[in-house]
Amino acid sequence: MAENKTTTTGENNLLLVENLSVTVRNSGKKLIQNLNFSIPKGEIFGLVGESGSGKSLTATVILGMLSKSLEVTSGTVKLGQSEITSLSEKELRNIRGHDSAYLSQNYQSFFTPFIKVGKQFIEIIRCHTNMSRKEAKKVAIHWLNRVHLPAERVFNSYPDELSGGQLQRASIASAIMFRPKLIIADEPTTALDVLTGERILDLLCELKEELNCSILLISHDLRHIINRTQTVGVMYGGQIVEIGKTSAVVADPIHPYTNLLLQSRLKLSNQPPLELQTMLGEPGLIAEEGCPFSKRCPSVMKSCSNLVPMNSIGTHHSAACHLVKAEREERYVTH
Amino acid sequence: MFTIIKNRVIQLIVVLFILSLFTFTLMKMAPGDPVLTILNADEMVVTEEDQAELRNKLGFDQPLYIQYGRWMLNLMQFDLGKSYMTGKPVVEELLTRLPITAELTFFALTLMLCITVPLGVWSAKYVNRWPDQFSRILALVGASIPSFWLGLILIYFFAFKLGVLPSSGIGSYPQIILPAFTLGFTYAVIYARLLRAGLLQSLSEDYVYAARARGVKEWRILWLHAFRAAILPVLTIFGLSLGSFLGGAVVVEILFSWPGLGSLAIDAILNRDYPVIQGYVLLTGVFVVLANLIVDLSYYVIDPRMKRKEEAL
Amino acid sequence: MNIQMPRINQIPFFFKKQNLLIQCGIIFFIIIILITLIGPFIVPNDPFTANMSERLSPPSSVYPLGTDHMGRCIFSRLIVGAQSTLGITALVVVTVALIGIPIGLVIGYIGGRLDTVFMRLADGILALPEFILAIAIAGFLGPSLTNLMISIVFVKWIAYTRVVRSIVISERNKDYVLAAKVGGSSSWKIIRRHMFPQVVSPVLVLATLDIGKVILTISSLSYLGLGAQPPAPEWGAMLNDGRPYFQSAPELMIYPGLAIFFVVLAFNLMGEGLRDKWDVKSR
Repeated sequence: MAENKTTTTGENNLLLVENLSVTVRNSGKKLIQNLNFSIPKGEIFGLVGESGSGKSLTATVILGMLSKSLEVTSGTVKLGQSEITSLSEKELRNIRGHDSAYLSQNYQSFFTPFIKVGKQFIEIIRCHTNMSRKEAKKVAIHWLNRVHLPAERVFNSYPDELSGGQLQRASIASAIMFRPKLIIADEPTTALDVLTGERILDLLCELKEELNCSILLISHDLRHIINRTQTVGVMYGGQIVEIGKTSAVVADPIHPYTNLLLQSRLKLSNQPPLELQTMLGEPGLIAEEGCPFSKRCPSVMKSCSNLVPMNSIGTHHSAACHLVKAEREERYVTH
Repeated sequence: MFTIIKNRVIQLIVVLFILSLFTFTLMKMAPGDPVLTILNADEMVVTEEDQAELRNKLGFDQPLYIQYGRWMLNLMQFDLGKSYMTGKPVVEELLTRLPITAELTFFALTLMLCITVPLGVWSAKYVNRWPDQFSRILALVGASIPSFWLGLILIYFFAFKLGVLPSSGIGSYPQIILPAFTLGFTYAVIYARLLRAGLLQSLSEDYVYAARARGVKEWRILWLHAFRAAILPVLTIFGLSLGSFLGGAVVVEILFSWPGLGSLAIDAILNRDYPVIQGYVLLTGVFVVLANLIVDLSYYVIDPRMKRKEEAL
Repeated sequence: MNIQMPRINQIPFFFKKQNLLIQCGIIFFIIIILITLIGPFIVPNDPFTANMSERLSPPSSVYPLGTDHMGRCIFSRLIVGAQSTLGITALVVVTVALIGIPIGLVIGYIGGRLDTVFMRLADGILALPEFILAIAIAGFLGPSLTNLMISIVFVKWIAYTRVVRSIVISERNKDYVLAAKVGGSSSWKIIRRHMFPQVVSPVLVLATLDIGKVILTISSLSYLGLGAQPPAPEWGAMLNDGRPYFQSAPELMIYPGLAIFFVVLAFNLMGEGLRDKWDVKSR
């Protein structure tokens, strides 16, 4: 299904995820189903969804760090020229931290707590190059300066001696040392206060321009990333339910789940909001068959329990929802 | 760090006080008259005058609290009295036996580490696969087997049947192997399970995920990033079970005829040599507390966060 | 990155596949109890009758496991020994629980200075290895089974008091206790109705795991000659009896040792099973 790729296809894609499915080895439970998206060079792609929707798991697959109890049952993940799912552990290790970099939501445990930050920088550098400790230290200091940190002091500190913002900056420095092609930022701002978070995102965007890399920005809050991303994918229950140019998705959200995510956003319009839609069910209620959101969807129809294909709305926007084709008002089912 | 040392010193004083009171009381409650023991009354004719003279010399005709006070004063000068059996000072007796027990303990602990660490890491690496099940069964066996019986079986096979290792005696390395293994095995396999649990916990930490995502090699992650956090609970339990470890040493010393502190204590018990028993009990109490202090201090080396947490207080 | 695994259906815990070992433990346990109860009536020979003309004889139809150095039937002594070893252990563990639980309930509930003093004392006593204390008591009061039991009880009760105390402390400030207080329940009633039921399962787990340890301690000390005295058919003492002969007649020590091993194993398996089932954190 979902043959059409709404984002720009072709040779300039840095990351290409096609038909990716991940299941639990023992029970066969599907955690990610038929995921399709791509990130062009130099763009920021936003992946949005509630916790448990599979967005962090997607990051894990791209990093090639899937735990042994899970397996990729179908699909490919292509980073540059490398096919991640078929690489050996050693090849993957050379890519991780070098071609792809990871930033965690949990900056407090991004660095191992009982090893000095500087030592961990040197460890990373020496994992990927043959530099001596002295040279490695120079490189580390350079990048710590680059993210506007007091380099020497941070270098000689234990992680818990630094503030949250400092740690997040240090983790960014550690991630960009090898000018990675892709930075995976898993909720980089969630644990920070709003201003610090904004500054971190500013820094990320600035570095993106400088390094000419792509960023996969994962967030549970669509509103956070609207202004930062060019493309956005909305995940629910291990599937992408809507994907497209951020501007198009925000202007004309199709899938009811996207609508829900956008709902709490304050709109500057003359009309007052019509009424607050009540959502059925609880977060994490995922339908096994058909559209994963169908158990909570206010606009559910009979055909939703069957497989819902991706339907494109424009060249840069598509959603896995019957509402795309239908004239929406007519097919509402009342509860 | 200072607080920790202070707390342990207080504990040491409390322990020594309880122990001294305890042993002193027991000694007074003990059946049999030590005066008759010293005078070897079973084999010789002892007159009333002889008894009274010795009683007076030992201070046994004084009230109990004075006896205790005197005894405490002597104790503070490291004078524990003289052995009834040999007539030598108890401290001297203890000090001549100490190196032997120390040697046994040292080798048993080394052997324990040599089993615990690989077994724990191995079973954490292959969770719920056969290495893990194997170590689980070993731990169950270790917790259920009487150590003296294990020692007897080992002696039977390795000394009598195969003749590859000596069954007793001290001085050479082959003679250390069986006692050290007997003493260390039970603890080794149980601690291996603790280490496994600790490793599973620390390997699932976010910082391990992050280190992996940076391309750090798996062995570096295991030994440099995960191991430190995993060894802490093992250390804690080790500090707590140190006493029973020393108890095990007594059994092993008897089993393999090692003339260490444990043998001395058992001999003293069988001969009603009270000052020696007293000295042994006090010395062991000191050891346990001091060893716990070392365990406490090693936390600081392993996890530098502890130091700063305390400074912040 | 933590994927929640689906919960396995609630099957009674001893039927679960991964609890095969615990099933074995329960089966062992039942066999042991049966032997202890009816054993003395079915033994083939009198465990105390020495028959020097038959000493150290190999297994035969009369003596299923042969005879010991005094010509006594090893099998009969093992069976009767089960009763004394398990009886002593049960007595020790029950006594310990009867002392430890009430003290823990009271100390935990009252708290304050009493609690501080207790904790200091407990730290002090716990620093002393029970084994060493047993040696001290046996040393001064003379080696006997009673003294051995006293020394174990003397040390062990603290562990129970600590567990009970910590549970009571964590429970006593909860809302339902407050509600009971407001409702006019007496302290005694609160302890009995609300605190006691909370401590039952952790204490049961602790006791089951302790039975194994107590058996090991008793037999080790008996082996050193500080516990049961000959001719009592206690397993550790039997091992001690057989020690001089074990080069020529290893079965004298193999059988009692195996008996200790399997009994302790059974209790350890059950203890682990109970702990998993009730999800009690190990100390």
